[in-house]
Amino acid sequence: MIPYLLRRSGASVLVLFGITLLTFVVFFALSPDPAVTICGKTCTPDRIETIRGVLGLDQPFLTQYGHFLQGLFVGRRYGVGENAVQCAAPCLGFSFQTNQPVLQMIAARLPQTVTVAVGAAVLWLLVGVSGGLLGAIKRGTVWDKGAMLTALGGISLPNYFLALLLQYVLVVRLQVLPFPDSSIGLTQDPVGWFESYLMPWIVLAFGYASLYLRLTRDTVLDTLSENYVRTGRAKGLPRGLLLRRYALRPSMAPVVTLFGMDFAGLLAGALIAETVFGINGVGKLAADSIATNDQPVIMAVTLLAALLVVVGNMVVDVVYTLLDPRVRISQ
Amino acid sequence: MATPGVLIVETQGATDRTPLAAAPRRGVLRALLRRPAAALSLGCILVLVLMAVFAPVLSSLGGWSPYAFDPKAIDADLGGVPLGPLGGAGARHWFGVEPQSGRDIFARIVTGARVSITIAVLATALTTAIGVLMGMVAGYLGGVADQVISRLMDFLMAFPALIFMIALLSALPAGQRQYLLVVVLTFFGWPYTARIVRGQTLALKARDFVEAARSSGASDGAVVLREILPNLRGTILVLSTMSVPGFIGTEAGLSFLGIGVVPPTPSWGQMIAASVSWYTVDPWYFVIPGLFLFVTVLSFTVLGDHLKSVLDPGGNPS
Amino acid sequence: MASRRSVRLTLTGLALLCSSALTLTACGGSGSSSTGTGTGSVSSSLSGTPVKGGTVEVLADANFSHLDPALGFDGGVNNFYRLIYRTLVTSSPGTKGATYEPDLATDLGTPSDDAKVWKFTLKDGITFQDGTPITSADVRFGVERTFDPALSAGSPYARTYLAGTKGYTGPFNGGKHLSSIETPDAKTIIFHLNQSVADFAAVTAQNTFVPLPAGKGGTTTYDKKPVASGPYQVDSYQPGSTLTLVRNPHFDPATDTVRKAYPDKFEWRFGIDDSTANERALADQGEDKNQAGVVVQPSSIARLSQPGVTGRTFQAPTTCTTYLGLNTTKGPLKKLAVRQAVSYAVDKKQVQTATGGSKKATIVSTMLPPTLAGHKDFDLYPSPDSSGDPAKAKQLLSEAGYPNGFTMTLDIRNLPAMQAQAEALQQSLLKAGITVKLNVIDSATYYEVIGTTSQQHDAAITGWCPDWPSGRSFLPPLFDGRTITSKGNSNLAQIDDPAINAAVDKVNATPSVEAANAGYGDLDELILKQAPVVPLNVENTVQVFGSNVTGVQSTPAFSGFPDLVLVGLKKVE
Repeated sequence: MIPYLLRRSGASVLVLFGITLLTFVVFFALSPDPAVTICGKTCTPDRIETIRGVLGLDQPFLTQYGHFLQGLFVGRRYGVGENAVQCAAPCLGFSFQTNQPVLQMIAARLPQTVTVAVGAAVLWLLVGVSGGLLGAIKRGTVWDKGAMLTALGGISLPNYFLALLLQYVLVVRLQVLPFPDSSIGLTQDPVGWFESYLMPWIVLAFGYASLYLRLTRDTVLDTLSENYVRTGRAKGLPRGLLLRRYALRPSMAPVVTLFGMDFAGLLAGALIAETVFGINGVGKLAADSIATNDQPVIMAVTLLAALLVVVGNMVVDVVYTLLDPRVRISQ
Repeated sequence: MATPGVLIVETQGATDRTPLAAAPRRGVLRALLRRPAAALSLGCILVLVLMAVFAPVLSSLGGWSPYAFDPKAIDADLGGVPLGPLGGAGARHWFGVEPQSGRDIFARIVTGARVSITIAVLATALTTAIGVLMGMVAGYLGGVADQVISRLMDFLMAFPALIFMIALLSALPAGQRQYLLVVVLTFFGWPYTARIVRGQTLALKARDFVEAARSSGASDGAVVLREILPNLRGTILVLSTMSVPGFIGTEAGLSFLGIGVVPPTPSWGQMIAASVSWYTVDPWYFVIPGLFLFVTVLSFTVLGDHLKSVLDPGGNPS
Repeated sequence: MASRRSVRLTLTGLALLCSSALTLTACGGSGSSSTGTGTGSVSSSLSGTPVKGGTVEVLADANFSHLDPALGFDGGVNNFYRLIYRTLVTSSPGTKGATYEPDLATDLGTPSDDAKVWKFTLKDGITFQDGTPITSADVRFGVERTFDPALSAGSPYARTYLAGTKGYTGPFNGGKHLSSIETPDAKTIIFHLNQSVADFAAVTAQNTFVPLPAGKGGTTTYDKKPVASGPYQVDSYQPGSTLTLVRNPHFDPATDTVRKAYPDKFEWRFGIDDSTANERALADQGEDKNQAGVVVQPSSIARLSQPGVTGRTFQAPTTCTTYLGLNTTKGPLKKLAVRQAVSYAVDKKQVQTATGGSKKATIVSTMLPPTLAGHKDFDLYPSPDSSGDPAKAKQLLSEAGYPNGFTMTLDIRNLPAMQAQAEALQQSLLKAGITVKLNVIDSATYYEVIGTTSQQHDAAITGWCPDWPSGRSFLPPLFDGRTITSKGNSNLAQIDDPAINAAVDKVNATPSVEAANAGYGDLDELILKQAPVVPLNVENTVQVFGSNVTGVQSTPAFSGFPDLVLVGLKKVE
């Protein structure tokens, strides 16, 4: 197990480096001069040059990339002299448009995104997996057909469409919920907190729950028809035991795999939910930064998202191994 | 799109299962038509494709180009609201008009269909081609080739595709946006296909007939092309059918965020985005493209489901 | 009482007027702060006198660009600054905003005979939020720090007018003082200018003249933790989320004739997208009853007549003009006849509808907005119902040698409203045989592209708001050929006509205000005879306020948007 983990970690680190390099290259090559954007509207060519100097934009690409990596591990300083800005490790960059270290900007918004993500994940796992199980067990019945139909609708409906529809019906028309306000803390006002996050949770979870429902149902049915399960049933094992020990655990493997990838990828997924509902999370930060071309922030969020996916994949691999003995043996 | 921004690919259950049977084509079609849901989906898709292909003809039938403004159909003093109930639908404009511009929605829907379907089909074709190739090479050859390709797939799949796409597309100039979208979608989309094909190839490689072909002296290329590829037909068919709705959804999502096709070219996602502020006053502008998008994605998904069960009789009926 | 004597701005100074380069939404601020001039309709329930106390809520889409007064320079943030910052002189509140009143100074300054040396005396009893008295050294520090490259994105006027500033890079990194700012004692400050500026008092209303604690803090300190001199101070700031202002305990109302400071608190909520803000404003639930104005989208106009909404609608014309700039150095547009053809072909009615209809925009045929002093009414390129005259356009085009029309590329910003305007233009020009290709540019980089002479294309749609209500800050920056720069250019048409340049000099030097105003009106007509631009419309700001808000007055100081310093609640629970 350990050598496997080490190998996987090594590969993941390489992937991460690759991502930083590619992101850096793309933004370096494609983006219009960030100095001009920072300079503001009363720009003169001299001021642009000064800002470029401070940002280190006049240095060759590899040097800049080097500074960036340096910042990640030990921190770096922007500019010189009295006005130099110190950015402590891990320095994900410094946003000159807002005069804040990017790490700080992200950290301030991480709780909201985590809230949206975790809440949605709990919701979609509960609904999706239990719905899928139910459908598999009660195959062919009204429950099954109903669940599958809803799931079908769920993956076909664009989630921004659903978001707007929900907001209109629940907030504007029926007035059962207030407009979401992500500045409310859980401890401060639990009811308000719940009311604010309910719609983003539903919207985000709806699509995933549908996917998971279908996946769970298919996988459980597959497993139930496997030979060893049939043998167990023929031998007279009680149904509950059969389901739990022999059918459910291996069925969970693909669900877990998908969940790991989906959860890690939720950062990007939350972008739309956060934007539509005005939740001040990392996804919205990404969308806003792209609109204002705040390069350091865009890069940092991209890296963070990639990191999550890579870590998520690794965790998933480990859990998969634990869940499905067939995989473990083949290691 | 259900998963916001991320390309959906339905996982096939366990990837190490027996590949879907390469049933004869006529049999597949007949089997599908026997199921009412599948037949309906096929019908919808056919209508959609016809709509896309004959878009210019259809819009001239309706009497309006998708770009022409009709100031008489809207009330300029009330912010540009369409005149008349149902968002201005009637004999003059079959599906009503867009607020403020007065553009004919029917013409824009059919032209938008053309745009969305073209992009999705192109992206699917490219993704499938590249994905199948890479998957087969990685699965069959194994060793270094497999390592390299698998790491490449990991790398691309780890990328936060949506954020990267948004940043990339907004940084690039707006010319040739449709081709750019296809390229970007393909770039991030092929690993999903490749991964599944690789799994299937691995399973097939261990089968007897492949062994037989190899020991009879056939080259690697011949084995791949003649033994493995034909047996992947079912998988490829299902994968591509299931990819199309994902790409349609992603393109609509990107257009919704404002970085898809460039106006005035219509796109369903863009129409939904524009309709957001109007849905309380003119809900039809919101409902119509949304409905079309929904039905399209639904049809492809249902078709894909049924294809899967037709091609894999040992599996589970939907 | 300040009279608007002619302000002698140098040409380079005019070229640096930047708030004007922003779009109308930026000029007026995002849905919150804005006041309009004179006419327009303000529901009577919004014109009452507020009570003291309560919290006013402001819904905004984007963050404030900056909290540091040296950096913020758009209408929305300027309006907000007045709540926490004071300057030597400031605009009179509300509808009287075209005139000036002393703020931190005792009067509007004492000029020397040649108006090159200005002396101001500070009032007694003025303090920062921690109780420290504000001295002349603090005012000087505020001005000097704007010379540091990191802090010079804001208003440029201090840099433009102060003498002996060449090579000066601010009080940090060495700490030298500007010799042109004298502080003989704690209450006196003297400015030495490099030219006669008769209206320098108006210049000191700019936010570069906000005092900050001398010698304290670096270039990034005050962007995060502002030090207030006004009636409110920043209590908490979560970028992207909320900003709370509470009363500044050390503010002495007796020293301020402008700011009423009715509410106890202001609460900004950021990140609310326009559609949601519109819904909330119309729904008027909970704390939204106290919200200080959301700009109405075209889609909401039809709902303004609903009961419960009519009574809290604010509509005022702005002094910002949206226009189509034609690059006179490119292709067929080099010819006057071609530009005139474009002027005839444009369907302004359609563009008006794309902007939101007759309530949201007024069609104009002049560059100076109708509510700006000096506006002269004329229409050099009339067409029936302002819907364009394609026949006349075609005739002019064939005379100019383009009987089959031509193709041009239009730069347009990636915002729905502007794209709609561009599409409307595209359609109307097509009728005259002119094919328009749209080049959609990302919002963040739009101004950079159109302001760079090597990157701009044939035409662009943009807007212009005056830095202060005068034709002087409107026409010369856009049309004086000597203001053209390779980067950050405002003269999009790149027109360099000796007759126009001479006329600009003449009217700028006119000593009397009335004559100068008339002169700007004539200049407007002279310029449009060359058709370097096509004026499209002047937007109205239409806003819906919470049902519990009043004291809403339009102010010319912020291009027609409501003045935040007058706003308050009707009653406090």
